[in-house]
Amino acid sequence: MKDLTLPPRFERTLVRVMLAGVWLSAGLLTCGLALRLVLGHSSGDALLRAGLLTLMGTPVIRVVMSVGEAIRERDWFWMWSTIAVIVVLAGTVWYSLSTM
Amino acid sequence: MAAFDITLTVALVVTGAGAVAGALGAVLGLGGGVFLVPLLNTVFGLPFNVASGVGLMTVIATSSVVSSGSAGRRPVNLRLGMVLQIASSAGGLLGGVYVARLPPRALYIMFAAVTSAIAAITVSRLDRRNVILDHAADPGPFGGRFFEEESGQEVVYRTRNLPVALAVSLVGGSISGLLGIGGGILQVPALNAWCGVPLRAAAATSAVMIGVTAVASAPIYYARGNVVPPLAAAAVIGVLIGSRLGFRFGDRARAKWLKLLMAGVLISVSMTYVVKAL
Repeated sequence: MKDLTLPPRFERTLVRVMLAGVWLSAGLLTCGLALRLVLGHSSGDALLRAGLLTLMGTPVIRVVMSVGEAIRERDWFWMWSTIAVIVVLAGTVWYSLSTM
Repeated sequence: MAAFDITLTVALVVTGAGAVAGALGAVLGLGGGVFLVPLLNTVFGLPFNVASGVGLMTVIATSSVVSSGSAGRRPVNLRLGMVLQIASSAGGLLGGVYVARLPPRALYIMFAAVTSAIAAITVSRLDRRNVILDHAADPGPFGGRFFEEESGQEVVYRTRNLPVALAVSLVGGSISGLLGIGGGILQVPALNAWCGVPLRAAAATSAVMIGVTAVASAPIYYARGNVVPPLAAAAVIGVLIGSRLGFRFGDRARAKWLKLLMAGVLISVSMTYVVKAL
């Protein structure tokens, strides 16, 4: 029976990536807000969009990294479950682009 | 899509509201969106879909912070979570697609019903232990094991009724996509009461899942222009600050009166939306 707890190495890497994504997006959003609302500079809009896209991308990176870990662990059920989630998220991106 | 004039004062107020919502979300195990969406909709007068778009962004932020902060300390069952994630993200996608086809009145009624249900769950939250004290027991394909402080030893649990868990995840994901509030509040008690998952494992797993569920619908809101970037940014910054604080001081604030207070707020929100729907 497989141990169902996450491997610590993978967990540490996930945490680093999640924190990097969150704080990068927070930094972009803060700078964007400051430029837009305090200085009235239009370049703030690009930073705000970049911050929101980074925020939305952070959980996706977590899912994609899980595929790699599932393959490394040879846990094929986990791998296919993760791929199914990625397919749904790809459907979201496709639908979003088609409505823009 | 109307343009919203976001002033520095509005941004600061929304940041403050986001901080309160994020702290409550972390302390009570709710997505902060359940407090922020009605505030933006009823107090700031934003259309419901715009408030929901901001709510989804805050759910993603809360999930990322809580799941990174809980790593190694809370019993996340990533394999169970990933299976349920298929249903919840599909629900999120469906909710995001169909929200634009529903009249506001239908969304108000749905919001009133969901906030009432959350109030009832918050007050009478089940906490079945669902654990097997024999650490050598087989947890099965979707179970797990973790160190339980109450018994001071490693415990095992088995997940039952997987189809029920998948159905609840689909409904929770749809609610997340339709209302922008995250579906964890339905999933956590259902996993605990009906599927044999201990509350700690259900809450930790759900906290990781709600971010991906929100990502299944947030880009659709963004593409439709229902995410106003300065407003979403202010709310997300507030939620990031608030959820860090809530996560840090959560255990100390877990008092019964806080749950009762929040149930009262949620009932008020529910009544407000019943009146709006009439």
